[in-house]
Order: sequence, then C-alpha cells, then structure tokens
Amino acid sequence: MAKEIIDAMAMKRALTRMTYEIIEKNKGIEDIALVGIKTRGIYLAERIAQRLEQLEDKKVPVGVLDISLYRDDRHDLTTKKDPVVKESQFGFDITDKHVILVDDVLFTGRTVRAALDAIMDQGRPKSINLAVLVDRGHRELPIRADFVGKNVPTSLKEQISVKVEELDGQDGIFLKALKTE
Amino acid sequence: MKRYLILEDGSVYEGEAFGAQEVTTGEVVFTTGMTGYQEAITDQSYANQILTFTNPLIGNYGVNLDDCESLQPHCKGVICREVARVSSNWRQQETLPKFLEQMGIPGLKGIDTRALTKKLRVHGTMKGSLINSMDDYEHAFDQLKATVINKDIVSQVSTSKPYPNPGSKRNVVLVDFGVKHSILRELAERNCNTIVLPSSATAEEILQLHPDGVLLSNGPGDPKDVPHAIEMCRQIQEKLPLFGICLGHQIFCLANGADTYHMKFGHRGFNHPVREIATGRIAFTSQNHGYAVEPDSLKDTDLIVTHQEINDGTIEGVRHKYYPAFSVQFHPDAAPGPHDAVDLFDDFMDAMDKRKEEQNA
Repeated sequence: MAKEIIDAMAMKRALTRMTYEIIEKNKGIEDIALVGIKTRGIYLAERIAQRLEQLEDKKVPVGVLDISLYRDDRHDLTTKKDPVVKESQFGFDITDKHVILVDDVLFTGRTVRAALDAIMDQGRPKSINLAVLVDRGHRELPIRADFVGKNVPTSLKEQISVKVEELDGQDGIFLKALKTE
Repeated sequence: MKRYLILEDGSVYEGEAFGAQEVTTGEVVFTTGMTGYQEAITDQSYANQILTFTNPLIGNYGVNLDDCESLQPHCKGVICREVARVSSNWRQQETLPKFLEQMGIPGLKGIDTRALTKKLRVHGTMKGSLINSMDDYEHAFDQLKATVINKDIVSQVSTSKPYPNPGSKRNVVLVDFGVKHSILRELAERNCNTIVLPSSATAEEILQLHPDGVLLSNGPGDPKDVPHAIEMCRQIQEKLPLFGICLGHQIFCLANGADTYHMKFGHRGFNHPVREIATGRIAFTSQNHGYAVEPDSLKDTDLIVTHQEINDGTIEGVRHKYYPAFSVQFHPDAAPGPHDAVDLFDDFMDAMDKRKEEQNA
C-alpha cells in the first residue's frame, strides 16, 4: 500500500515556494525558460510557469522533454539501461536563456544527465538549473538540484511516486515499499 | 450605571457601564469577528483604541488566561451591544466584565453598535471618549478635541528588555512591536529558540545573536513612527531570512521604498478573504490593521505582491525579489480566527533551513 507522505496542500505550497526561490535566484524572470521532463515534470513546469505569470505578469515559455527509462515505472536500481531521450519539443530558442529543468523526483541523476545532453543539443543556454519536487537521494552522478520541494531520505527498497491532478486526479507524494522477489 | 460614548463629530451614545470605571479617550474602531473577544481585547495592536464589537453579544464564554495575547492589554475601551449575563465554558476562569475591571479597561454596553459601525464606515475612524456623566459634557468634548493620540505607542507596548522563549531547533530573533503571544506560540510549536528584542533593536544587536531568521512582529499605530526599525529591516533583509507580520509587514515595505497610508476604517476581524496570487487560493484570515501599503508605490520597488484582499484589493502580502524576505498584513497566527494561512510560519522555517543548508554546504 502506498503511503501518502506529502498531501496536496503541502505539495502546492512546495511548488509555490520553489517559484519564489526561482525569482529570488534569477533576480526576476527575465530570460527564464522552463523545461519539464516527461509526464509529470511537464505538469509541474506548467504550474510553476502559471505561478510566475500570476506574480510577474509575464509569460514564461515551457518546453517539453520526453525521456523514457527502460521501463517507465521501474525507478529502482535494478534498471541497467540509461534513460533515452525520445523527443523534445521546445518551440522556442533556448540560446542565451536561463533554463530551469523541472522533474518530479530526483533519484540517480541519470535522467537529468540525459536531459542536459538533450538541452545542449538544442542550443547554448546561458545557464541550466534543476528544480525537483522530491529529492530522494541515492545519486550516482555528480548532480544536485538548485530548487528542491522536499528532501525525502529513502531506502532503495522504496519507491517514490508523485501524483498530479491533471493526470492522476489528485495531488500528493506517495511512498511505497517495492516488492522484493 | 450609565456611561456615554462621545465622538469628535459631536455625537453621543448613551449606554450602560461595565468593566472598569476609568474615563478614557482613544480611536474608535470596530471589529467584525463573531468570537475571539478576549484575543482582540488583549491584542497590543489595539493600543490606544476603543474597540467596538459588531457581533451583538460578547462575553458568553468568559475569559481564561491561556488565550491572552498579552499580559497587559493597552486597549482603551470595549463597546458592545450586549454582554452575556451568564457566561459558561469549561475553560473559563473569569467573566469578561470582571476581567476588564482588573485590567482597568472601561466597557460600554447597550448602544446601537450597528449605527456606530455604519458611522465609522462612512466617516472613517474617529477619536472618541468614554465618560461616566454628561454633566460636564462641554468640557469632555473640548478635551476630546484637544487630545492628540500618542504617536509613540510602539515603545509603550514593546518589551523593555530582551527575553528568551526557549526551544531547541532554529534560532529566531523576534523584534517586538507589540507581539501577540500566539506568534510566540506558533514559533514554540515549531521548536524555535526565540529571543524577543525590544522595538529599539538595531541590526548589529540582532546580528550579534547569530539568528537563523528574524521575525518582525505586529504592533499598533503608524509604521512611520518607528523609523529606526525601518533602517534595521533594510540591513537585516540582506543578511537573514525575514518574516514580517502586520506592522512588521508595513515596516518591511517602507524599508524597500514603498509607502503606507491610513485606511478609512481599517480591517479588523477574522473573516477577511485574501487571495494568494501565485496559486489563486483563497484564505480566510484574521486581520487587524488601520494602515496599509499603497499599491502604486510598490511599482518601482524590488517587492512583488503575493497576497491581496478580495473585498477592497488591499495589499496583504509581499515578497522581496532577491532575498528570502516576505511579509503579510494579516495574522497567520490566527488567534482568534481561521487557520488557513498558518503554513506561512512553515515557509519561514523552510527559508531558515535552506539558508542553514547553503551555509553548511
């Protein structure tokens, strides 16, 4: 049974706080572009963009990166293949932009690495920052998030899943023990 | 015994006396909360004010020491339609009239509070006096007109010496401009080791204590009457996470170049809807302010508006663009009132934790 560790309210609050931190760090939202990774990262990026727009009255472009893991639901260390970029649609030029990469969960860092490559292929951004809703630890690469919604120390036998209203009908962050066979 | 309220426009309201026998003068304001009379009366932000309750009946659950917002209330008087003859609650330690008597606060009941409130809404807040006899009406009226409401009320209600409110996690310095105990309670609940400093605290004094964050408390009166605090805030916001509440919010805005104005009749009550601009979420909030931040003056500052009142568009919360510093006009501590906005204290905790993390990284 998945246990809800962060409820909808706290999740919304974490996103709002990350939005404020993005404004703080970038001294405004000039030249900011958001890039959401695959399904849930996109919704989170869109929500941050929406908050930025409400606050600063300026539209922030949101790009989409589709990176699929060997199997999308297997966020565990038994996966031996690296994530592959399937498709990226930006619809805007990222050159000289401050790109903020948005994902739901930061785990090994391999997805982020693939995303960095994909972004670099598109142009030369001024900088890339990483925003994640949950940092669950267990990094295998020298990657660190700049904006973290919540640090959740986990064991490798657990799985973290973020649910978003647009897709799952509810908001929340859930922790589940993986079946060990 | 009869008692009278006279207003500076010449009107007289006749009612019954309760509470202390004093003759007092203050700014007559009204609060729209249906409950929470004890918290309102003991709130230091009502210093030098005569408080009118729009709810027709107060005092029905008595008074207890746990819900006091200050040890020595500075409110100048209480006006209501009716005081409960019998009060009953398992937490009650005192009846309201008895409590007011002990605190030296006069009360007036049995007047048409609706008419009074309507008048205040049309004409704005006014000076008024509670007097015990109409024999020397002319004299009392002259005195009322001549009375200048004391400007330096913050130093009157602020603590004179620093004191700790111990905890074991984060170190918070709270600058007391007339702090409500509920703010200290919220900090204690989050295990903060709080040091409360007098309103005269300078930036150096605060930095010497090496806090993780600074909270500017609520307080009475005009934020422009505490210029030293504005200077202090300007220096602190660059160095430490900062959270301002009520008067602290106005000080934070003034420190960043915005302007404040005296509102016609202010926001006092526990049912003020406020929109969080980033998410569109509405929170019902507890408020008590007679001054507000001028929206136009925020345009050229480094502040962004984060909260806004729905009824009249008053600025209710701002945030600095470059520093982890933010403030709200309403009371997230919600005493009394809806607890919708209490998570702002958690935001303050997050800001402090983040700074700690960055320093240790």
